[in-house]
Amino acid sequence: MLSPACSSRLLPLLAVFFFTATFFSCTNTANEGPIAAEGFTEELLMERLISAVPGQVIMLGEGEFRFTRSLSLDGIPGVTLAGAGADKTILSFTGQTDGAEGLLITADSFTVRDLAVLDAAGDAIKVKDGKAVTIQRVRVAWSGGPKAANGAYGLYPVGCKGVLIEDCEVSDASDAGIYVGQSENIVVRNNLVHHNVAGIEIENSFFAEVYGNTCTENTGGILVFDLPELPIKNGHHVQIFKNEVHNNNFPNFAPEGNMVGIVPAGTGVLVMATRDVDVYDNKISNHQSFSAAVVSYLINQKPYSDPAYDPFPDRISLRNNIIERQPGAGPDSTRALGVLLATLFKGDTPEILVDGIVPPDRALTICIQDNPGTRIATLDAANGYAGLHLDPSPYACTVDPATP
Amino acid sequence: MPVPWIRPLRSALVSAFAGACILLGFALPAWQCATGSKSLQPGFDPDAPPAQYLSEYGFFAGEAMALAPAAGVLPYELVSPLFSDYAEKTRFVYLPPGTQAAYHQQEAFDFPVGTALVKTFWYPREDGQKHLVETRLLLKRKDGWDALPYRWNEAGTEAELALAGARLTVKPSVPGMDLEAFDYVIPNKNQCKGCHSVSGKFAPIGPKARNLNRRLDYGSGAVNQLDYWQQAGILSGLPEPSARPALADYADASQQLNERAIAYLEINCGHCHRPEGPANTSGLHLTSLENDPAHLGFCKSPVAAGKGSGGLRYDIHPGQPDSSILLYRMQQQDPGVRMPELGRQLLHKEGVALIREWIASLPGDCLMP
Repeated sequence: MLSPACSSRLLPLLAVFFFTATFFSCTNTANEGPIAAEGFTEELLMERLISAVPGQVIMLGEGEFRFTRSLSLDGIPGVTLAGAGADKTILSFTGQTDGAEGLLITADSFTVRDLAVLDAAGDAIKVKDGKAVTIQRVRVAWSGGPKAANGAYGLYPVGCKGVLIEDCEVSDASDAGIYVGQSENIVVRNNLVHHNVAGIEIENSFFAEVYGNTCTENTGGILVFDLPELPIKNGHHVQIFKNEVHNNNFPNFAPEGNMVGIVPAGTGVLVMATRDVDVYDNKISNHQSFSAAVVSYLINQKPYSDPAYDPFPDRISLRNNIIERQPGAGPDSTRALGVLLATLFKGDTPEILVDGIVPPDRALTICIQDNPGTRIATLDAANGYAGLHLDPSPYACTVDPATP
Repeated sequence: MPVPWIRPLRSALVSAFAGACILLGFALPAWQCATGSKSLQPGFDPDAPPAQYLSEYGFFAGEAMALAPAAGVLPYELVSPLFSDYAEKTRFVYLPPGTQAAYHQQEAFDFPVGTALVKTFWYPREDGQKHLVETRLLLKRKDGWDALPYRWNEAGTEAELALAGARLTVKPSVPGMDLEAFDYVIPNKNQCKGCHSVSGKFAPIGPKARNLNRRLDYGSGAVNQLDYWQQAGILSGLPEPSARPALADYADASQQLNERAIAYLEINCGHCHRPEGPANTSGLHLTSLENDPAHLGFCKSPVAAGKGSGGLRYDIHPGQPDSSILLYRMQQQDPGVRMPELGRQLLHKEGVALIREWIASLPGDCLMP
């Protein structure tokens, strides 16, 4: 019989894919059958993770596995944690009393697949400083539905090099369902994210492809952000394409103080700061505040002091998207940005917004073309909206394709 | 799936002593016989797997409850200790005979292979005895530090390796405080690194010059610990006293408020919240070496705090402790909100009061530049 551990033969393929070659053979990999839910104690899995050998596959059978403390993996490369299916193997953290995550991974070439993580006290799965991270067919939810008391992030790679997140379903996160921060070489594809504040958020990251995802019933569908005062900043090269971004009108339930708290319900795609962002071939429909916006960090009016930080979006392309507005509904009046839009546009907000805040010493390249039937509003936010206009001609340009 | 450890020579020795004791008719548990024996030298084989029982290392002299170091093992104390749910902590350092640690001005000293840092967590009991809870070992092996939690038995006679950590109910008896019983958490091996990490490598936190630069009575009057380490031959490269850094003692109200607050933040938060630490992606650096007010949290917006923000806008809002996320999180118990994330189940009243007083004293406000 083929050892389940030998599925680690797949790892080299992934490693090559991410240009972070870490090679594991099947040797030294203990062949242990799936851990059964019956008679399970959390210490058993924790001990397995502590004593895992490189390349080991740890399998969990069907059923519910309960935890009161975080699970963690540190320093052992190539470990796979695999369940029997996202609806069959449930890691439940209901009543968690210790640890700020469900799973905390600080190891390279980690794979988690085919299981669900429910009701984590904080973030559901956090991977910090890992190379070649793979998350597949994982479901994350909080069983009380969307609430401010839920964890901030569902799937949360940060400081990682090589990230693949695919075929996952994430809901109810009080910040972003899928959040990739301060990372590089990222693929987020074919996921379903719903009832989060942000569906998918790419923040302070380089070389990301976000495609084939369905983002619906979030407060905001897809966010590309760049923030100051972080070790990795001035993100660039983010491609958002062929996503279905629909009906993201869910009331914002993020605790105040969080960046994502500014997002008005009814936001489709929001690009803040960041350069070389290409948004194309998406369907973006039924958003009560706006379909797409390109803004600088300055629009938040949050103080910062970071001379190395560039708060402006640049080399942005928004093209060939099918955009439909939510008929009738006005912007979200619970957020400053929504109130502003209501004031400026009296219930008929254009589909695409640009804040118009520009640096004193250079021109920004923002190209918005071939999005049929859409209007583009330039807010002139730096000058009290005095120069607000709907002239699309400043955006009739093309940016070289942002190829990683 | 117990791995068939190859028992290290040391365990064999312990067993041999125990066997001898029993043969000689001592009605003592094996550990007492072993640790009570002068013949068991402290230390460990850096290539051997962890011992199952703490007594096998020989770090304690006599009864464990006495928490006395064996010959060749030195006690040490920190200027400002980490808050650990009001546990008392007894710290030992052991270096192999003839070896030295190299002094470092800012980081933990560079210890030789074979070094052990031994930290025992305990609570005073109402009967005057000690309730020994756990002993955390940091063992320096050839490829770096190994962290091993050991959990004491009820009688406080032996501690057993608990790689996966543990949870137990503790009713602390702290003079002047009425504390309820609570779930004390022994961290698992991975969680140890959740704090002990510098640029992804395991590193000790306590034995830095600025933490050790204080006096301690080794039995014949108080002397400076760093001087003592040097005289004991276990520390090289110690500079003149005037060149040695020192953290403030946050519990000493006669010292400057700002220095006490920074000392508190460094020892409780700075192991993660530093540019090389596990919390570096927050951009919040709570150490005595940080000079940038924004990185210290002044008027800094949170990045990935989620509900940890508590609906507040800034990590530290000068003059406004109750508008500061940092103080908010120090007072919360939800594991997804509280800070520090690990090792704190109880609220540290004195620490909260200190940080509150400090933030209230800070001038200025958070305005757009």
